[in-house]
Amino acid sequence: MSASNNSNSGLVQVKYNDEIVRMFTLATIIWAAVAFSIGVIIAAQMAIWQLNLNTSWLTFGRLRPLHTNVNLFAFAGNAIFAGIYHSTQRLLKTRLFSDSLSKLHFWGWQFIIVLAVITIPLGLSQGKEYAELEWPIDIAVVLIWVIFAINFFGTLLKRNEKHMYVSIWFYIATIVTVALLYIVNAISLPISFFKSYIVFAGIQDALVQWWYGHNAVAFFLTTPFLGLMYYYMPKAANRPIYSYRLSVLHFWSLIFLYIWAGPHHLLNTALPEWLQTMGIVFSIMLWAPSWGGAVNGILTLRGAWNLLRTEPIIKFLVAAITFYAMATFEGPLLSVKAVNALGHYTDWIVGHVHLGTLGWNGFLTFGIIYFIVPKLWKTELYSKKLADIHFWIGILGILFYYVSMLTAGITQGLMWRAVNANGNLVYPDFIETVIRIVPLFFFRAIGGVLFLAGFVLLIYNVYKTIKQAPKDLADETVQVKGASSAVNHSERGHRRLEGMAVAFTILALIAILAGSIIEVVPTLSINKYVKTENKVEPFTPLELAGRDIYVKEGCYTCHSQMIRSIHSEELRYGAVSTIEESMYDRPFQWGSKRTGPDLARLGKKYPDLWHYMHMENPRAVIKESIMPAYPWLISSKIDFNRLEKTVSLFKKMGVPYSDKDVSDAGISAKTQALGIAARLKDQGVKGDVSDKQIVALIAYLQALGQKGVQ
Amino acid sequence: MKQQALAHFTDVYLIAIAFFLFLSVFVGYILWVYRKGSKEHYDYLSQLPLHEENQT
Repeated sequence: MSASNNSNSGLVQVKYNDEIVRMFTLATIIWAAVAFSIGVIIAAQMAIWQLNLNTSWLTFGRLRPLHTNVNLFAFAGNAIFAGIYHSTQRLLKTRLFSDSLSKLHFWGWQFIIVLAVITIPLGLSQGKEYAELEWPIDIAVVLIWVIFAINFFGTLLKRNEKHMYVSIWFYIATIVTVALLYIVNAISLPISFFKSYIVFAGIQDALVQWWYGHNAVAFFLTTPFLGLMYYYMPKAANRPIYSYRLSVLHFWSLIFLYIWAGPHHLLNTALPEWLQTMGIVFSIMLWAPSWGGAVNGILTLRGAWNLLRTEPIIKFLVAAITFYAMATFEGPLLSVKAVNALGHYTDWIVGHVHLGTLGWNGFLTFGIIYFIVPKLWKTELYSKKLADIHFWIGILGILFYYVSMLTAGITQGLMWRAVNANGNLVYPDFIETVIRIVPLFFFRAIGGVLFLAGFVLLIYNVYKTIKQAPKDLADETVQVKGASSAVNHSERGHRRLEGMAVAFTILALIAILAGSIIEVVPTLSINKYVKTENKVEPFTPLELAGRDIYVKEGCYTCHSQMIRSIHSEELRYGAVSTIEESMYDRPFQWGSKRTGPDLARLGKKYPDLWHYMHMENPRAVIKESIMPAYPWLISSKIDFNRLEKTVSLFKKMGVPYSDKDVSDAGISAKTQALGIAARLKDQGVKGDVSDKQIVALIAYLQALGQKGVQ
Repeated sequence: MKQQALAHFTDVYLIAIAFFLFLSVFVGYILWVYRKGSKEHYDYLSQLPLHEENQT
């Protein structure tokens, strides 16, 4: 036992578990270096396509999901755990519930990240943004999260401080909500250890995905970091939070409203109108709690503004909160349908996300690292000056990043919609709108390099700080009033403590469930929205094989499959996408970014040979294309054997395949492939490609938009 | 049942009820945080991060 009773005075000696906090802090720094570096690489790939190096696992489509996953789960994840474990022990005046669970949590999480770093570049992906990890890793994530939850709630129950500070509330909401989001969004059925399909299809999948995706931002990048802000900002400024009352309002308003806002990622799409409106309304309401929280954080410095000049830690924290305010101002703005019509699918969104991640999550974490590393290693920070330089380089990096992306996004958005007096598109060739913004991709990459360079200074600074630390790093020990004395030595006292935490958790759960249920459940009865006269044919087995390749190569990171109900999009891409057209799609591939054009109606637009040449070398057909080449698709073979399992699984999930479709899946795919290969041969392609992946992909691309009754 | 519930999603009275529900929760919360005697409680709470207990 870590706490020993001193019954005379009611004082208890508590030893904090600082070792685990040190471990998570170092993991944060190491993974951040990895995540930021991958970011710089993919930013450079956008500017210079040659950097894709014609290598499957180094191509943008595989590295971008890696970048987002490592940033989210490895950098932000470890930072959250470090901060939560450090602050929770001190706020509750008790040691963490279990040393072994803490260790298991740490190593389990690092193991998951290593698995992610291996599997995502290999193309093992569920094809859902920020949820690419395949099912065995999903199960591991949930298990480790449960271990974290047990460890946290165990700590909560054995606390020596009766009252739960607002940070603890934010942590509780995070733990409960992330578990719910992650599990629901990952419900899938496997056909093998490495491949599974999500149970939701089309619009259902779209809604569940963005309910998850948006709340990954809300409950993984916002609530835990707000909890950290409410602890470390007062700590660093050595004065209490500006208004505790405001923090209470901030908390409840935020978790009540945030959960509803997901549909703003699907504006002007085939999503039912009422859901779009609901998403907009709740997004706009979010302005209030977000700004209330930001003001609360910044005004904590009242009467101590001078610290802003002298203390790099305060600079980082205040800048982070300012970026939080900017990003949460821009978020609701982008949720307004008209603004969204311009900004969505462009680099503006990428800029918006990075305003939040680089500015808010990044800078807050850096501030916390500079604050806790000297405390954890019982020494002084090696160099304040270096931290100061880090701050300014970082700010400059974010500025380069955001301004270039904002400019690129608005420029391209305006070019996409430009229509001349005759009612025709001014820039009918998509590539024209790309060429215009490529120079800005260079500026963005420079911004990334600056941000990374600043971070290298942090690494050096932390390294030097730890080096000057004393050898003996005993856990911090404090004398606190025991829980029993705090509540009148009564047996009931401790019960009451537990009761409060449980009641609080239930209340928070109700708040997030209300929005989730109203948003998600109606859509699960998809038949309400599907019009029977708009019947669509399911994909053939070969087309499904091609679709798996499309998902595997991360095509969705640059191409959408959703023609929005906007006039210029109809002119450019064809008739507006319907719900029915994607009703069998698992996962849905509506996409969220158009570095290249929308593909919803690509089928039959170009001959097979065009696609063959385009995949082998995009520059062969579009001179100025920045798309990577996919030469390996021409040499890798199609896995025909797997198709029977896939079709059989889809049939079970309600796609209208016959028993014969299932049993003949392999044969039918081979026949269709032979046909395409023969046509390619006639058109001059050398060698036999009938069993190569390129043929399956061509079959799929040619089927896009061809399955619905027009 | 669900279908019937969905049919009411555009019902203006339902929207009004939802609006007042949200508003009253919000107003209720504001009143709650300003309840009598809450100042001492919140002062205590806001000092929690700053407590550095007797280190040994």
